[in-house]
Amino acid sequence: MPQPEPRDTAKMPQRVKTAALVSSGRHPVSGRAGRAREDARAVEMGLSLVGADLSLAHAGDPEQASLRESLQGYLGMYHGLDDDRDGQLSLLPLGEGGDAVPLLAAWLERSGVRLALTGQRAECGEGSGMVGYLLAERLGWAIATGVAAIEHCDGERVTVLQALPQGQRRRLEVRLPCLIAVDAVAEAPRQSAFGPARRGRIDIVDDLLPPDESPLDADSADWHWQPARARPKRLKVVKSTNARDRFKAAAAKSSASGGQVLTDLSPEEAAEKLIDYLRAEKILAQDDQ
Amino acid sequence: MSVRRIDPHAERARRNRLHPRHHEFARPAWRWTSADGVTRVNPHALGAIGPNGVKRIDRSGASVEANPAAASTSAEPARRQIVLDQPLGHVVVVPELPEGRLNDHDRDLFGLARQLADGHDLAVTAVTFLGGVAGFEEAGADRVVDLSARAGSGYDPVSRLAALVDVEAGLAPRHWIFADSLPDGGDLGRRLAARLSNQGVNHSAGGARPATRVWQLSEGKTLSRAGDRQDILRDVARVLLALPECAEPVSETLHEARPIDLEALAETPRQAEVTTAAAGMVDRGRVAVDPQEIPLAQAPFILSAGRGVSDWEGYHHAARVLGASEGASRVAVDDGYMPRPRQVGATGTFVTASCYVAVGISGAVQHLQGIAKCQRVIAINNDPSCDMVKRADLALIADGDAVLAAVCRRLGQPREQTGSDGSWTDEESRHAAA
Amino acid sequence: MLQTLLPILIFAALAVGAAGAVRRIRLWRQGQRTPMRWYRLVLMPKRYLNDLHHVVARDKAIAHTHVATAGGFVAAMALALVVHGFGWRNPILGGLLLAASLCMFIGALAVNRRRIDPSAKLSKGPWQRLSKSLLAYSVGMFLVSLPLVGVAPTLLGGGVLAIVLSAVLVWGLLEMVVGMGWGGPMKHAFAGSFHLAFHRRPERFDDNHADAVHDVHRGSRSTALFPLDLTAKTLGVEKPADFQWEQLLGFDACVQCGRCQNVCPAYAAGQPLNPKKLIQDMVVGMAGGNDARYAGSGYPGIEVGKHHGGPNAPIVPQLVEAQTLWACTTCRACVEECPMMIEHVDAIVDMRRFITLEKGETPEKGAAAIDNLIATDNPGGLDNASRLDWAADLEMPRIQDRPEGVDVLLWLGDGAFDMRNQRTLRALVKILRAGGVDFAVLGDEERDSGDVARRLGDEATFQRLAERNIATLSRYRFARIVTADPHSFHVLGREYGAFGGDYRVLHHSTFIAELFDGGRISVEAPAQAETVTYHDPCYLGRYNGEFAAPRQVLAALGLEVAEMERSGYRSRCCGGGGGAALSDVPGKARIPDMRMEDVRETGATTVAVACPQCTAMLEGVVEPRPRILDIAEMVAAALVEPATASTTRTSTEAPEEVPA
Repeated sequence: MPQPEPRDTAKMPQRVKTAALVSSGRHPVSGRAGRAREDARAVEMGLSLVGADLSLAHAGDPEQASLRESLQGYLGMYHGLDDDRDGQLSLLPLGEGGDAVPLLAAWLERSGVRLALTGQRAECGEGSGMVGYLLAERLGWAIATGVAAIEHCDGERVTVLQALPQGQRRRLEVRLPCLIAVDAVAEAPRQSAFGPARRGRIDIVDDLLPPDESPLDADSADWHWQPARARPKRLKVVKSTNARDRFKAAAAKSSASGGQVLTDLSPEEAAEKLIDYLRAEKILAQDDQ
Repeated sequence: MSVRRIDPHAERARRNRLHPRHHEFARPAWRWTSADGVTRVNPHALGAIGPNGVKRIDRSGASVEANPAAASTSAEPARRQIVLDQPLGHVVVVPELPEGRLNDHDRDLFGLARQLADGHDLAVTAVTFLGGVAGFEEAGADRVVDLSARAGSGYDPVSRLAALVDVEAGLAPRHWIFADSLPDGGDLGRRLAARLSNQGVNHSAGGARPATRVWQLSEGKTLSRAGDRQDILRDVARVLLALPECAEPVSETLHEARPIDLEALAETPRQAEVTTAAAGMVDRGRVAVDPQEIPLAQAPFILSAGRGVSDWEGYHHAARVLGASEGASRVAVDDGYMPRPRQVGATGTFVTASCYVAVGISGAVQHLQGIAKCQRVIAINNDPSCDMVKRADLALIADGDAVLAAVCRRLGQPREQTGSDGSWTDEESRHAAA
Repeated sequence: MLQTLLPILIFAALAVGAAGAVRRIRLWRQGQRTPMRWYRLVLMPKRYLNDLHHVVARDKAIAHTHVATAGGFVAAMALALVVHGFGWRNPILGGLLLAASLCMFIGALAVNRRRIDPSAKLSKGPWQRLSKSLLAYSVGMFLVSLPLVGVAPTLLGGGVLAIVLSAVLVWGLLEMVVGMGWGGPMKHAFAGSFHLAFHRRPERFDDNHADAVHDVHRGSRSTALFPLDLTAKTLGVEKPADFQWEQLLGFDACVQCGRCQNVCPAYAAGQPLNPKKLIQDMVVGMAGGNDARYAGSGYPGIEVGKHHGGPNAPIVPQLVEAQTLWACTTCRACVEECPMMIEHVDAIVDMRRFITLEKGETPEKGAAAIDNLIATDNPGGLDNASRLDWAADLEMPRIQDRPEGVDVLLWLGDGAFDMRNQRTLRALVKILRAGGVDFAVLGDEERDSGDVARRLGDEATFQRLAERNIATLSRYRFARIVTADPHSFHVLGREYGAFGGDYRVLHHSTFIAELFDGGRISVEAPAQAETVTYHDPCYLGRYNGEFAAPRQVLAALGLEVAEMERSGYRSRCCGGGGGAALSDVPGKARIPDMRMEDVRETGATTVAVACPQCTAMLEGVVEPRPRILDIAEMVAAALVEPATASTTRTSTEAPEEVPA
């Protein structure tokens, strides 16, 4: 069983005020509220960077029944750190159809956060993944997306690894203050434990904006929401005007090519076949001898 | 391809076999392409008289298949050339261009752009940060803006964004279309959308708020996938971030891909060049990733071992030589040869490798479930009847240890023999004798 | 000289011993307090003579040895107090004292014989010394009492011999009386009798139990885990002082006989768990100190002497490694065997509760299973609506369509998501239909019973699932619940009661046996004789005392059962219980492989099972191996369709699965 590592002071020699912006997640199968997968990874990244100093924020409707449960999921991650402080989350009240960006921006500015971590995309609502960008634009911060790990953070810059397809990584240096959008391939979040979740504090912060300036999200008023349809599978596109070819392509079973079985091979021959196949599929470099 | 002029009298005479002048206009060919690009076949002009004196037309396509070259030429009808001289506006597509080529996702984006542009006299304009990219004509771009001079070599979304803002100023496109893939097009598109909305730029309907994860366009509305198993049906936004297969790629027309010189077009002075240091992000380059460090679920190339492997040192060496991540069957893990996190299958890790090599794995159902998403599966196994061989795209019926040793030798990195372990040298000597 | 010395010695020993005993009681009372009910001490003799000896008597030799030694000692001590202590030098009493000492001496000789070449399960160190001390006490007391009956009165009057004799007697008294209070091996007698009196599960000693099955098998009288108050300050046990004081008392009663070590499947598999060492570690934690003085077998792969603890110091990892706790399969074999009736599984689950609920360090796959249970109500993270997908062709009756109620609610369990177990369920449905049983299922309203969550220590998730299941069940009418999953059987039947859910739950083997008894199903004789053996699932057998019904069913099928050496209440676990399959602690062997060896020894070609978890674990053994068939599958295959075939469906035939 992996022991949770204590806060890594080598990663951050100088304390930088760090926060994670979290949202309410939806389980992909049941749709039940819980931690969002990417946000939970952002919290994990924050906890391993600054320990219990990490503060959390969420803009949402405090009246919503399932919200507290999902937010407690994040607070339940405050364990295995080198101090016994419980988690604390600032809940910024936001009504139906409200715009979270001005609230979050005001909160980030007021709390002096210089490094904000969040997931790339929310799991409920529009899920456009724009909040981070709008915040960065509004605050004039830098933003790095698809971050798999934070390697180092001095007081000025943070060095991150950005996730590329197929497990590849790119190293980026980002100036502070900045927003880090954490990718789903970042280190898996620690278990959310019931005890810390129960003890964690959720503070409602409702004096961020003047009361007349209630942020409203006007754009989305005339959108029509509907249950997601299954996306149609694209048939093999046949660039043929020949009815017979089109029919054949449409009727053909997709990719049921059937494997090639080579028997009676000596190991040498088999090795040759294997290497040839891998080269043809560009998995091995053409000739690396 | 020039525009074909049609003589309606001649057409009429050609269609009507009883027309007195039919023979004058009847084509000798049995098959031709009509004016609107559809292949026409004259059934009277083809076929052969059979042994019974009856004319038979062979529709089985046997003759086509007998001559694949002819088939391919006939199957690929020529594309129509479309020329747009005076577009009323632009639909800008920013393709991904991985490895410097248009990929399928890019072609889909152009297809989507064409749906928005056609009928409105809008030009589909490709914005590229790479020079010398081919294929924009076929993909469906009327115009091309080459910004390769503005983009650094590495990952530099900030200066790319600055360049796009210039395009915005110069062309004021009706729509921007990006691929919604992170960290590339999805990132750049969101940066642009955030910039535009912050500047209060709101040229046309839809607002500056982007439509993300767009997967369908129909009847002037886009469907985008939201969180929590919902779709949003909304007017076409200015900035669209589209998923793969959001539209059919262009297949019937050919476009000009005429270059636009942005400098000449720009009325406003170009934004000051943003230096990367001030922009706050520096690309320190790719990081060499040890295949064993990649989480198994994401590893692109897996060499997986099961009970058929007995030379474990040789197997580890082969994985190093091939640059593959190591995987294992449950039995190999249970027997203690491989650590538990390396177990592939329903009870271990579901893998998504583009190439999965299974050595000595017979293929229990749970294991096959775990590799269901692998694109190519290669099985090396002694038993030609096992389930893994049935699943595999390429199955090599041979001894796993020996094949891996031979692979290492062929790649010029044979394992140093410690003397006691001669599993493959035996194999080799037997071969030399044979 | 001895006349004056003896009372001093006896009373001094008693006084010092009593002081130690008070200190010991203080140590126990460091635990969570419940009111001290002294009157319970009167329960002790009956519990000792009846219930404890019921367990001890499984090993006849040691039972007799203990009767002789302990009986002799108690009698000799009492008489010595009267005769030597108070000076009532009655020859008859003297004779009785001599007889008691002699009896103890004979017992002590047997103890010493056992200690000549002690088996691996026994602890050495002070326990080796005890055997000699027993001799010293009995010999000393015998010789000292000889003058009472007029034998050799002058011989012992004084001189060197008297000094030697008093030294021997002092040794005996130190070990037997002072050591009892101050933590020597004899502590077990003192702590043990208190433990019996204040045992946390008084039901274990209750002979007037309502349920006949549980009276037959005493071990299953009280097996439900204790509910945890989720509003408590800390959840679960972090440090020894977090245990209930009765639990600390129970740990202290351990005699280190090693029976638990002998039956523990994890220990046998080389996983780092040894129930005996765990209990001793708890004692070390309670008293403070390190485990260097432990003289028995340690945890496999973990060195003895490197761990330390204190009553208010965290247990994990200073005193016990987390791996040790996660290796337990909660099979209860140790509890079943323990002559001191110590509750190992309770202690392990208490400590797991702290790890899961407070530290969030459930082993990786266990944590994933818990997350899935929270999000989807099943440990696989599957869509709960697909719970009945396997039965699409069976036209399963839904209880939602039966507002008037049904006789049997068929509880499917999470095996409904597993392709292998779906075959069992199909077979069971076929049997129910053949027997004309009025049954229905909950369908997608059924949730996981919470067994795995609870054994992994996630009491919060267990209670949530239990409350939801109870709320669901309260909406429908049914006479009883039948399930093919012993874990659901146990949890629904015995653990939901604490949350307000009282149901009559039957395991499918019991129900099928009932169908046979009622003549509602008939089977044809097997075509050819086959040797089968039967693997008792822990949660059916040890937990719930159901050993007979599955064997009855096999007998009704006309099969000869070749019993494994470890069967019935001594059955060895398959390794899949208590979330052990999820925590997957590495060891030298795999528990199911060892169990399959047991099966092979019987020469059976088929092993009958009655639990989806056992099926999965045993089928994970690499072939070739005996066939594994659920009892329901065996019955379904032999079923003779009743004459009124029109009411049965042909579609219930289990189709051939693609072999895994």
